[in-house]
Amino acid sequence: MFKIISDGGCDFSEKEAKEHGVTIIPFYISLDGENYLKEGVDIKKDDYFKQLLANKKLFPKTSQPSPADYIDEMIPHLKEGLDIIILTVSSHLSGSNQSAVNAAKLMEEEYPQRQIIALDSLSGCIGQGVILRELIRMRNDGLDTLKAKEVTEKIIKNANIYFTLDTLEYLKKGGRIGPTSALVGGLLNLRPILYVEEGKVASLEKVRGKKNAYKLMKEALIEALREEKNNINLSIGHILSEEDATEFKDAIEEALEIKMENPLTEVGATIGTHIGPGALAFAYCKKYENFL
Amino acid sequence: MQNFMNSLSGWFLVAQILGLITIGFEFASYQIKNKSKYFLVTGVGSFFWLLMFFSMGMATGMDTQLSLIVAAIYSTFRNLVFWQIFKHNTPKSQEAGLIFLLIMIVVALTAGTFTVLNAPADVRWLHILGLITALGFVVGQYLPGVHYVRISVVFYALVVILTQTPLNILYGDFRWNVMGIAIEGAKILSVIAFYIKYSKEPHKPLIQLSKP
Repeated sequence: MFKIISDGGCDFSEKEAKEHGVTIIPFYISLDGENYLKEGVDIKKDDYFKQLLANKKLFPKTSQPSPADYIDEMIPHLKEGLDIIILTVSSHLSGSNQSAVNAAKLMEEEYPQRQIIALDSLSGCIGQGVILRELIRMRNDGLDTLKAKEVTEKIIKNANIYFTLDTLEYLKKGGRIGPTSALVGGLLNLRPILYVEEGKVASLEKVRGKKNAYKLMKEALIEALREEKNNINLSIGHILSEEDATEFKDAIEEALEIKMENPLTEVGATIGTHIGPGALAFAYCKKYENFL
Repeated sequence: MQNFMNSLSGWFLVAQILGLITIGFEFASYQIKNKSKYFLVTGVGSFFWLLMFFSMGMATGMDTQLSLIVAAIYSTFRNLVFWQIFKHNTPKSQEAGLIFLLIMIVVALTAGTFTVLNAPADVRWLHILGLITALGFVVGQYLPGVHYVRISVVFYALVVILTQTPLNILYGDFRWNVMGIAIEGAKILSVIAFYIKYSKEPHKPLIQLSKP
């Protein structure tokens, strides 16, 4: 039996984490560069993004959990005699995985009889979320720790996340695009469709206008999932654009004749700070049974 | 006929061959959906276009071809820089590409405005049309998707044909520039062929996602 711990990059709500017995180690956010708040604990996602919208000049900083944050959560479960699997946001996007790896090494010395595994999701937000959901299913179905680790590593390679943005402003603020690209892209109403490849954010296509971006993403998603529609874990996320996300979800469900198991997810600050309010994302992976 | 054949220099024949090669590359380029490959093929086409004007200059005198050679250098350089930008597709290359695009627009706008101002008043409108369609084409090349570049090149090619063919209304005389018509016509025909093929293709999304 193993305990699942994830950093806040997975964007699980408090309710979901509790329901699935997952411990979430939150990221830290600072709006003023001095005081750091725990995401989802000291500041809600909604409030955070509303503050971003209200103050356009604001560019908050995020900070990864420390090894001590992981250790504090690990100790009670290790004492209970449980193994631990930690899933973190991509190591290319945050230092959270390094903190988890360091914490795992320290705990291995104290609890040599326990398996303590820190996995790099090579993804983030709902991409990390779909991997985590499969890990939860494996635990619930009674897979042992090492088998769950082996299968999760295969799922990590199989998982995909794509997203589009409402504004280029936050990519510019985060240094991911230059000022000219942001200016001209804004003038031409360009919406990039981005994805995460081997843990890094990459650009897939640029489309004119939100409507076209959604249309293209819907068509491409339907095409990609058509053959495996009953065999996938699919998740849709958004930042302050619930209406668009619901419409997107309904269209996908109708076209593929499926009923999505996962609720719509509000994307958190870890990825959200870099893409900004109005973003829409989807992620998917094959169910774990395919990798046994 | 004999006099006509005698009047043809070797350089003139080379120019015609280079023109035919240009037609091949230009036609092929508008059949390609991938932006990076499109810029490579049209860039090579522009290079042969440049060589054609050079050969024509060698046959008829460089002074008549100089402005066309400059235009072809501009076109080749632009296409090949865009090829590299779209090939690498990184934030840095995109930023550099946009700055390059803006510089190209400013250069074209400056040269075009100068031409418009120096043109006789009765044909100034055609020069303005040329300037607008040329700028539209450069922006269309940069814009995402397969349509903008094809639609904008048709308008640009039509205006170029208007200035180079029996439809020439700039100089008041009918000057056949067969190769000029053929090159621009090839672009238009290629776009028509693309859309005929495109309309018959089973509908596929423009982006392909990784299958799970």
